[in-house]
Amino acid sequence: MRMKITLASSALVVTLLWRVAGLAQESHIGKLVGHANRGKALYRRYCVFCHGEYGDGTGESAPYLDPKPRDFTKAVFKCRSTPSGSLPLDSDLYDTISRGVHASGMPSWKPLLRQERADLVAYIKTFSSAFQEEKPAAPVPIPPEPPSSQESIKRGGELFQSLNCWSCHGKDGRGHGPSAASLTDSKGYPITPFDFTSGTRFKCGDSDPEMFRDLVTGLDGTPMPSFANAMTPDQRWDVVHYIRSLHVSRKHSEVKIQSAGQ
Amino acid sequence: MGIGTLKGIVLQLLAVGGLFAGMPSAYGIPAFARKYGLPCSACHEAWPMLNNFGQTFKDNGYQLGNERDAPIYQQPAYWPIMFRTTPVWHRENNNRQAIDQVPGNAGSGLVESSVTTSGFDLSGVDAITAGTLYKNISFFIQPFIGNSGIMLAQAWARFDNLAGTHWLNFKLGKFELDEPISQERSLTASNTGGGYYNYFFTPPGDNNFFGGIGFPQLGAELLGHSENDYTRYSVAVVTDSNGATGLPSNQDYDVYANFNQAFEVPWFGEQQVGLYGYFGESPTYFQTSGGSAIPGTGTGNRSFYRLGAYGHWYVNKFDFYTFYMHGSDNVFLGNSVPANQPAKLPLGAVGPLWNGGFVEAHYNPNPRLVVIGRYELNRMSRVANQTIRSNAGNADIWTAGYRWYPIMSPRAGLAWTQEYSRSTNAGAAPLSGKDDIRNSLQMGFDFDF
Amino acid sequence: MERQACMKLKYAVIPAWVVVALSLSGRVTTGWASPADASTSLKGTAKFEGTAPKPSPIDMSADPLCAKARSTPAATEDIVVGADGGLANVVVYVSDGLSSHSFPPPEQPATLEQKGCQYRPHVLALQANQKLEVVNSDETTHNIHPTPNNNREWNMSQPHGVPLEQSFAREEIAIPVKCNVHPWMRGYIAVFKHPYFAVTDKNGGFELKNLPPGTYTITAWQEKLGTQIQKVTVAAGESKPLDFAFKQ
Repeated sequence: MRMKITLASSALVVTLLWRVAGLAQESHIGKLVGHANRGKALYRRYCVFCHGEYGDGTGESAPYLDPKPRDFTKAVFKCRSTPSGSLPLDSDLYDTISRGVHASGMPSWKPLLRQERADLVAYIKTFSSAFQEEKPAAPVPIPPEPPSSQESIKRGGELFQSLNCWSCHGKDGRGHGPSAASLTDSKGYPITPFDFTSGTRFKCGDSDPEMFRDLVTGLDGTPMPSFANAMTPDQRWDVVHYIRSLHVSRKHSEVKIQSAGQ
Repeated sequence: MGIGTLKGIVLQLLAVGGLFAGMPSAYGIPAFARKYGLPCSACHEAWPMLNNFGQTFKDNGYQLGNERDAPIYQQPAYWPIMFRTTPVWHRENNNRQAIDQVPGNAGSGLVESSVTTSGFDLSGVDAITAGTLYKNISFFIQPFIGNSGIMLAQAWARFDNLAGTHWLNFKLGKFELDEPISQERSLTASNTGGGYYNYFFTPPGDNNFFGGIGFPQLGAELLGHSENDYTRYSVAVVTDSNGATGLPSNQDYDVYANFNQAFEVPWFGEQQVGLYGYFGESPTYFQTSGGSAIPGTGTGNRSFYRLGAYGHWYVNKFDFYTFYMHGSDNVFLGNSVPANQPAKLPLGAVGPLWNGGFVEAHYNPNPRLVVIGRYELNRMSRVANQTIRSNAGNADIWTAGYRWYPIMSPRAGLAWTQEYSRSTNAGAAPLSGKDDIRNSLQMGFDFDF
Repeated sequence: MERQACMKLKYAVIPAWVVVALSLSGRVTTGWASPADASTSLKGTAKFEGTAPKPSPIDMSADPLCAKARSTPAATEDIVVGADGGLANVVVYVSDGLSSHSFPPPEQPATLEQKGCQYRPHVLALQANQKLEVVNSDETTHNIHPTPNNNREWNMSQPHGVPLEQSFAREEIAIPVKCNVHPWMRGYIAVFKHPYFAVTDKNGGFELKNLPPGTYTITAWQEKLGTQIQKVTVAAGESKPLDFAFKQ
């Protein structure tokens, strides 16, 4: 009797552990289910030359790239919808693969089948045990955007000042504030703060809600922190509007509002 | 096809060596790999054949769209140039060739005999420079250095993503048409099996200036595509000189259009269907001076077309091309008679009509190996006149081979290829009227830097 | 006879499995009650041998609110030597001898303060899963950015007075902490699975209390000068001195 309980219980434990491990070999994005074993072949075709055979960002091309390819073994990702310190959702990885990372060597892989991208997400998760040991936190809420206005931009500018954004991004948002020269990413490579005036699209998505989200989640692995505790949602929208007003080479409504007010 | 049969073919191919010379132009472009740090396999199913990511890159004007495309982002030492050549061993055989019964004695009479030749050979060198001059301005120049000198196979510039949309791209110059299945990126290269038969076919007795959609043409092209390249269209207006420069033919223009649509089928992969058509008019005679034709004064234009449908089907590691062409030339073109001398038309003269196509299968177990098999055929449904055999121009061509890529790097490419191809031209033997059978066996390197 | 042995094995198997399962759920602490009369103490000093290097001054003029918050000029803190050569900010801890017992983290949080644009304390030690409270006493906004190897990396902006609570799940000695806004700011957080650790004060003094009797390996870690290891055996009620000497 005891033997039976032992066996049954052991079997239950083993099954539960195996199922958890099995889930880590899969990815779920909406209705898509990706499989790591299929993702492996795709990784070798498309990804290995930058991200390396062991997923640690040391592919053959890596020495010639700036910014460096992501090291998947650390399970730290810039573009997420989860709070700072949390793993990304499967859909975050899928979106990064599909969108690419603007102004870097990571292209948009939209020409790949959706199933292929889901398979790649599943395979990428196998590079770090963190995906088996932890679960991602809930995604950060993004409330509806209030309309842009002269006042909103002004408040955003004041927050840009008081929250020390200028110390990295510079008073004019060009990315050469007093701390900028000393910045390194978490692997020790020099990294430059974003130049808001350049017209380059934002790395993790170029829409206002995505910028709002980036302010809440921070870009893990870089000096860009999360402002989840530092601002209220309305304040974050003000900062988004202010940043848009700096983007003078592109036709944002904020640029027009700003120049109309001058 | 069973493993046993495949092994048999492979063993046969391995048993004989071959060098290859002949078909120019098939390319993977390591200059692009070097520019972005991507491996060949990212854009090429098995180079030179493109996958959807590579086709999108090409349709974008050789740009990834990651804001690092313009030359200003490259190291000054980066040059967008690549070289490609194939040193091979090959063996060519023609089973019924007309030869003098006594060598050297023209009066000894002709007989049909099997003629074979073999040896080491070189295909000539493609030196391609291509890429972007600036963001959304791309270019392509392809000089080919061959036995008969240097010719410019392609040379064009393109404005990409006009008005900020990928639905408008404008190309001007000498370019490969937006073919259903790219001739320039064919995986086979032997004399017999290198080119797609229907891309270069003109019926016997036909003097159409236009040689086929496989020839690069001079003109302008408008192309558009969806973001992931699943929907594509192109319209090209070309001068009717079959790509020959110096305005040798006439003042008229032909139109080529292509449209395809792809969709994702769960488990199987991407499937693509498309339609194409080339519609043109060719001159049937020229103005003359002292009896000699004056180039560029072609007149007496008569019409012709080539059109059809095609598909590209994926089943996991297998993929298939299916291609169909229907061709038609005007009766004057088909009989090589100037349009101002209709009396010269032979009895029962009509415009030739034909139907042809091919099925090509690939097995691509990993990015470093591809096995290819193809069957092509062409059937005349109507020949130009009663003196021409009803099956003149009919052909059946079988081709099989493989390409193995021992290295895969973002710097350069190397392939080891072996290929066997056999074509049967019905009734084309010069004397007996039997079938003319030719075969090519070739083996060698294809390298790309 | 055999059947009895079999029964004994079963008894052995089941409790072990139960322990494993319950340990996975993190709910059990196995028997490691410190004996009431243990009263053991390992007390000592970490000293710096040789001439103490002079700290370099830190220029905080990039942020006027930093200079404003300081009453004394700022200097680097990587090697802090007190009077009599005592070496501050050395983490002294038990690195071996505790076998595989698990220790629940204390309810009391550990506090890291940003004051005068420097971290107080410069080196903080706490237990895995113990609450870490981060306090910003300066008027300027800091961002607190630990860069661990064995824990999740996070980076939070913290204006004056806004509370922040985090924790670290795994042992790591030690996690560098930086502020990207103020690049001179540098601190360390050492995370332990057990409570037997201490950070030396400004005179280099430390005490490890209430270790059960046994033989232990004690390690002392300093951010620039490396680690020193000593083995010590302590009996019930015993107080033993333990000193470490570092040199450059």
